[in-house]
Amino acid sequence: MKPEVEVTIRGDSDVVAARQAGRSLAAELPFTSTELTFIATAISEVARNILQYAGTGTVWCRLVENGDRSGIEVEAVDRGPGIVDTEQALKPGFSTGGSLGLGLSGAKNLMDEFTLWSQVGEGTRVTMRKWARRSTLAERARELI
Amino acid sequence: MARSSRDRPAHSYAAEMGMGREEIQRRKEWLEITPQDEERIRSLHTLAHEYADEVIDDLYRHFLTFPEVADFFKETSVLDHVKAMQRDYFVRLTGGNYDDAYVEERLKIGAVHERVGVDVKWYLGAYNHYIRFVGAKIFESMEDRPEEALATYFALQKLIYLDIGLAIDTYVFQRERTIRMQQEAIRELSTPVLQVREGLLILPIVGAIDSQRALQLTEALLASIARTRARVVVIDITGVPAVDSLVANHLVQTVEAARLMGATAILTGISPEIAQTLVTLGLSLGQMRTVGDLQGGIEEAERLLGYRVTKVGRPEDSYPADG
Amino acid sequence: MAVPILRQGDVLIASIQSAPTDEDLRLLQETLVERIGRYRTRGVVIDVTLMDVMDSYACRTLRSVGQMARLRGAETVLVGIQPDVAFSMVQLGLRMEGVHTALDLDAGLSLLRARLASRQRPSGGDGAPPHQ
Repeated sequence: MKPEVEVTIRGDSDVVAARQAGRSLAAELPFTSTELTFIATAISEVARNILQYAGTGTVWCRLVENGDRSGIEVEAVDRGPGIVDTEQALKPGFSTGGSLGLGLSGAKNLMDEFTLWSQVGEGTRVTMRKWARRSTLAERARELI
Repeated sequence: MARSSRDRPAHSYAAEMGMGREEIQRRKEWLEITPQDEERIRSLHTLAHEYADEVIDDLYRHFLTFPEVADFFKETSVLDHVKAMQRDYFVRLTGGNYDDAYVEERLKIGAVHERVGVDVKWYLGAYNHYIRFVGAKIFESMEDRPEEALATYFALQKLIYLDIGLAIDTYVFQRERTIRMQQEAIRELSTPVLQVREGLLILPIVGAIDSQRALQLTEALLASIARTRARVVVIDITGVPAVDSLVANHLVQTVEAARLMGATAILTGISPEIAQTLVTLGLSLGQMRTVGDLQGGIEEAERLLGYRVTKVGRPEDSYPADG
Repeated sequence: MAVPILRQGDVLIASIQSAPTDEDLRLLQETLVERIGRYRTRGVVIDVTLMDVMDSYACRTLRSVGQMARLRGAETVLVGIQPDVAFSMVQLGLRMEGVHTALDLDAGLSLLRARLASRQRPSGGDGAPPHQ
């Protein structure tokens, strides 16, 4: 039974709710305060994206595990118009102040893993994860030399 | 179901160590602990209460013959307290209901022992003692039912292996945490941000930088800017052997982040090789202030801060009078 | 919740509270632009100390404030960007062009004083020193 939060995005206050819920959840793991802000900012960007291009959608934040790592997974889904060119959308600089303002490349930089799925006319799904740093035995051995 | 800080329990060793219900279930399956086993163990509970004191006294009689361990129990109050806790632990073994609360309790006890400095080998000595003592009692009380006695003994053994697993995990986890903290300390030592003057910070970077280190350097620098209210920071990379596009990018970001906090960054110590790399990478360091060497960088920084360094007196005067 | 705006002579100081809504920011932009005209303001300080996240919308809006202020003859300083937030902003690739930045209110006001003083001086140079 893993903790999960679901936030429906309908208005800009939901963008704030989603990122605050995500931050709270992530705070249960040994993330640094900088990482928590990274996560909150990434959530803000993808949630805002939903609002701007689909009007409505949902954001899920959940704690996940992979071997001995723990992390947070954020899924942002909408049934909006979809992105025509997903490759272009992920190019850096695409989000900076231009009228399109897609924050996806930025969110990608802030998180460890990032996948974008989109189909024109069907919708968009963004899945991103960040792992709390926990050094492995091998890393530790290397560093102690 | 959103979790707020109010809902969060005080502190959970199980949660911290990632020891969820599924994990415990897996371990029970691995050790083949069945509901019948739990029944058998529970059937020992009344007897356990009866001879608890005997077991514990015997255990500590044994412990105290070892000077290394006896040291822990020099004071009678400490010994009494520990024996009482140990008695509770022992009785709990046969109490049944090996659920989340049971696991949490076991993990906590392990953590306490680790913190106090009891080595794992001593900690495991207690289990050895219990199983032999209780084992003998089991066979005594079930002389007429040797198969049942053996099954009961095995059931108890399985549970003890579960406990031992938890104890070892606690030790490993706590040790890893200590190591992590030490690593942090070492990292902090190797990323010194120095305040040389009011408003002026120097970050001398020595050695190779990887993504992880770059992140830490930036974090440390930004935190220092906030703490010391620095207006100029000199980032010196004289001691950095090579810079790839990732690192160069990090440097650019660091400079920009410092600017957002109102501080001007000056990059110094760019070797000819690194300069070449940066040009090849096509990176526009145009916005960045760069100065050849650290000294020049500090002078530029002081100028920006409105300082002016003047030489007073003659060169001879710099030497102390008493030679 | 409206952003409180103080006036100190020819400087306006706006203190953004934590987690402003889009509407709050839009309203701030409108209000500032109106007041800059009304009071012949020459400097604007926007304090974002309490903002725990600065996303692309907030960034764009504050940049617009800077641009509009400039068109009306006022310089804008953004103060109080927290270390975490500054780091996130550069990772996002956000640029804050057209506005100055300073560590806190004190530093921001000093910077404005220096810039406004230098603007008054007849000879140019390449602009005032970045910080005072």
